[in-house]
Amino acid sequence: MNYQWDFSPVLTRWPLLLDGLFNTVKIAAIAIVFGVLVGLVLALLRLSPRRSLRLPAAVFVEFYRNTPPIVHFFWFFYALPVVLNISLDPLVAAVLALSTQSGAFYAEVFRGGIRSIERGQWEGAKALGMSHTQLMRRIVVPQAATRMVAPFVERSFELIKTTALASTLAYGELLYQAMMVNSETFRPLETYTAVALLYLVLLVSCSALARAAEARLTAYR
Amino acid sequence: MDYAFDFALVVETFPILMRGFVVTLELWLPSLAIGLAGGLVLALARLSHSRVLRGGSLVYIELFRDTPVLIQLIWFYYAFPILIGVQLSPFTAALLALALNTSAYGAEIFRGGIQSIARGQWEGAKALGMRHADVLRRIVLPQVFKLMLPAFTNRAVEVAKMSSLASVLSVHELMYQGRLLSSTYYRPFEILTTVAVVYFVLIYPATFLSMTLERRMAGKG
Repeated sequence: MNYQWDFSPVLTRWPLLLDGLFNTVKIAAIAIVFGVLVGLVLALLRLSPRRSLRLPAAVFVEFYRNTPPIVHFFWFFYALPVVLNISLDPLVAAVLALSTQSGAFYAEVFRGGIRSIERGQWEGAKALGMSHTQLMRRIVVPQAATRMVAPFVERSFELIKTTALASTLAYGELLYQAMMVNSETFRPLETYTAVALLYLVLLVSCSALARAAEARLTAYR
Repeated sequence: MDYAFDFALVVETFPILMRGFVVTLELWLPSLAIGLAGGLVLALARLSHSRVLRGGSLVYIELFRDTPVLIQLIWFYYAFPILIGVQLSPFTAALLALALNTSAYGAEIFRGGIQSIARGQWEGAKALGMRHADVLRRIVLPQVFKLMLPAFTNRAVEVAKMSSLASVLSVHELMYQGRLLSSTYYRPFEILTTVAVVYFVLIYPATFLSMTLERRMAGKG
């Protein structure tokens, strides 16, 4: 172990890494927004009284939850364009993969939250003459929302980590930029160690932020 | 959508995918077993009286949980060999990264389980003259093992999914074979969809088992 560590060739290329960090945050933010939309639609379908809506949504959710994310990335980037006869940008393919996949998980978070409200409350609110919308808006959603915060944060945390897979589609997020830096510096130890630490800083600050938000959102209970 | 699904190609290439499937199993099961065993050791370090052990294991666990798995695989293949002066095969590097990652998550499962046992039981067993290791082995672990089963099964699901990332290091597992075949035949839709289905068939039983165990426990508790 007499290796001479030298971080300077890596550190002088900080603009490349900063670019990567920016793209990681960007793709994660876009994917969270679309993932929530996909998740809401799927959760509503799964809670619907109609079997013809429930079943396809359940199949979609289970399929996504039980297959590896990298398959989704490659499927959207290589397979879907062939079928539709279009070409997809790596960013678009990665966002599609991330948001459908996290949508499947978010759907379970939303559904679990809504179903966690006891039947008695639904019945009580109905007995008081509330309409379905009123009962959802005033009784169910506010209570369910606080219960959804923690699992929602956990899923989003996983999503941020999964953005690293966009590097396999040559999208210039942090890991891909690290590979570029490595091919210029031939210093894999320093490059990948530095980038792992950058991810650590990003994720630890995200979870600190999330914890602070969680504390505020669930405070009134 | 006038795309013609080439089913014959799927039949023709299936044996090659199955060869990859075997490597996926060879990667999945040992890394899960080693990882969970390591997790118990880490959990004990996390709960020990020594500050050094507690701090060290905390840092280890957070490093693995708060960085993407993909960079861990890349780090162990490209960076770690420089540190130890020995080149690792892609398979060994992937196995190492997956096992260490699993141990970090496994540690949290064990810690939660061990902490769920009331203090009184420890004190009672100690009063009977049992040593710390005996209390753990004969009193604590048998009780919490059942409680932890759903979490272990869940980990198995995650490790199976993560093992697909070894394709990035050119380990000839299922996803790698899928990528290779889809570029050879230029039929990504057929091949990648088949790969996804094979993964689903592998992973879904574990998810189902985990859900059943959880439901059964909820019913009892």
